[in-house]
Amino acid sequence: MADVHQIPVTVLTGYLGAGKTTLLNRVLTENHGKKYAVIVNEFGEIGIDNDLVVGADEEVFEMNNGCICCTVRGDLIRIIAGLLKRRDKFDAILVETTGLADPAPVAQTFFTDEDVRRKTKLDSIVTVVDAKHVEQRLADSGEAKEQIAFADVILINKTDLVDAETLRNVEARVRGLNPFATIYHTARADIDLDKILDRGAFDLARILEHDPCFLHGHAFDPTHDHGHDHGHDHGHDHAHEHHDHAHDHGHDHGHDHHHDAVNPVHDAEIRSISLLAETPLNEQKFDTWINDVLRTKGQDLLRAKGILNMAGKDDRFVFQAVHMVSEGNYTGAWPSKDKRKSRLVFIGRKIDPKVEAELKAGFEACVA
Amino acid sequence: MAHQKAQGRLVSWDFGDFAVAAAQNGRLMAMAFGDGSIRLFDSETPDAAPTVVSAHKGACLALAADIEKGGFLSGGDDGKFLKIAAVGTVETLWEGKGKWVEHVTAHDGAGVRVFSVGKVATILNKKGEMRELTHASTVGGLAINLKGKRLAVSHYNGVSLWWLASAAAASVLEWRGSHLQPLWSADGDYLITAMQESALHGWRLSDGEHMRMTGYPSKVRNIAFTRRGHHLATTGSDSVICWPFSGSGPMGKAPVEFGTVGEGIFVSYVAANPKLDIVAAGYEDGSVLVGQPGSANTIGIIDASGSPISCMAWNPDGDRLLIGNEAGAVHFADFRG
Ligand SMILES: [Zn+2]
Ligand SMILES: [Zn+2]
Repeated sequence: MADVHQIPVTVLTGYLGAGKTTLLNRVLTENHGKKYAVIVNEFGEIGIDNDLVVGADEEVFEMNNGCICCTVRGDLIRIIAGLLKRRDKFDAILVETTGLADPAPVAQTFFTDEDVRRKTKLDSIVTVVDAKHVEQRLADSGEAKEQIAFADVILINKTDLVDAETLRNVEARVRGLNPFATIYHTARADIDLDKILDRGAFDLARILEHDPCFLHGHAFDPTHDHGHDHGHDHGHDHAHEHHDHAHDHGHDHGHDHHHDAVNPVHDAEIRSISLLAETPLNEQKFDTWINDVLRTKGQDLLRAKGILNMAGKDDRFVFQAVHMVSEGNYTGAWPSKDKRKSRLVFIGRKIDPKVEAELKAGFEACVA
Repeated sequence: MAHQKAQGRLVSWDFGDFAVAAAQNGRLMAMAFGDGSIRLFDSETPDAAPTVVSAHKGACLALAADIEKGGFLSGGDDGKFLKIAAVGTVETLWEGKGKWVEHVTAHDGAGVRVFSVGKVATILNKKGEMRELTHASTVGGLAINLKGKRLAVSHYNGVSLWWLASAAAASVLEWRGSHLQPLWSADGDYLITAMQESALHGWRLSDGEHMRMTGYPSKVRNIAFTRRGHHLATTGSDSVICWPFSGSGPMGKAPVEFGTVGEGIFVSYVAANPKLDIVAAGYEDGSVLVGQPGSANTIGIIDASGSPISCMAWNPDGDRLLIGNEAGAVHFADFRG
């Protein structure tokens, strides 16, 4: 069958007042050469009359079995199906969630509904946090934590309202919740939109290869002492350069620091681990193992992402999951031979040392 | 599987916009498109170019035969509920800024037109009086029974059954999950819904008994009863799955099937013929065939084009078939003589 062009979708999360609306207005008004369909939850907030702006009502539906984590956004399925019928085609879709929303049902919608999955692809989850209030939000809302843990890109906004030390603490806290996201600092959501839109964050190669910690393959254990510097810059723009892997990522962490180094402050509840395998994996073994992991631990796992080297295949296998719902595809050739390693990360709750050891052993047993 | 080649003629057009829905109202047939247009086809002259009606500003989302002869009703993402007369004139029956009119239906005997916007289904009678029916979640589909007495409104966790002529509260048929297209059996004894999660659910109305129809590898996009309701033909698999409803009813019976064009190529639309016990099946690869529940013989109508068949409608005599796909290719198959 003919290949269907998949429209990229960006999910924008963050609590009220963090700067989401500013960002949305910029996407709708700036001349960035792309036409966005924007699905908002507070219609009134966007002061723009544009028939590609659609109001949604966040209807979260449970799927089959009634498992509490297996949920989708029914309204998104309808709206996207409707948008895809239009003639005045758009290049991409932006979905805004309310500040109190759990990002999981939104993300799961893009892996679950067949029509949505066939015609769109989740490009990235962008979370805006307010440097001044994030600590308070994290203290009193589980959703704030989840929104950070879920993100591919995090905008620490309103940096002009805090001093350097506060900002450093905020970043450490955010890093502790999500060591794999790309973090940007902004004052008034003034970021180059290319860095957050249609960036192929789910083509994980870029993220993973730009995270030196990921390459070490160590776990983000709160008790483990990070002897090296985590302040390397994730802010430089690789969004449209495919040659960029040629430059040195030798873990010297010396390149282009534009903000201060921080040591992540790990969260007591949400933790991340990253696993590395140098030997190619057996796809069948991996499939069986990961399905079992998601079935038994999926409720506690917020996200899993991986880029995997399957034995006998020339292309990279990119895997991602939200709770129990997963998706995996071969997505093109490896950038170069020496980077053919399998990397898999989990972000979630209840990842204690025992679970971590289990996951590690299970992953390692998937080698061909 | 080898298909017999169809007898008759095929007229084809390429309109370039997503074919959203097709309907018939006597001699006139209509198709609604993603650019907001509705095309009216005269089934007596399948070769003639259809009349183009500029209906909606955005995409058409729904289409149904109107209660007036030759007319149609449409809903769009411009928030309009429109009446398209046989001559092609457009009348706005309702408009809501920033809303989507997602489902429309009508019953000529009962003299009602119905449309839904979000959680609200609105009944519009001939006098222009409106009755708004509010549900706990967004309306997934509308269906009036053949007798024109009851309106079924599907939604999350069930279906609400309203009396068209009475202000009484709805009786709710409950079942967990998101219910989409509702469909009455011809005798009005059963109500079936296609669900979000690759299954059908049914209720026997006399005693509320549940029917669960599962085993689909894919989402069931639409369902149709064959003439006289002997079989419920369904999409969602790589053959047309047909549940028997004749004799003692469907409970506990296994489905029969027909029509495969290739492994993993799912049926995307079914349309039951009004005169014969046959069903037209459209596939995700763009092909269309006609077959009979449980029979191995099928007749190929159009070959694969790459774009999924998104809508079809038979004329009342059952000898002409209007077909549309997601890329806007439209075919009129004429099986006469
Ligand atoms: Zn679950
Ligand atoms: Zn490290």
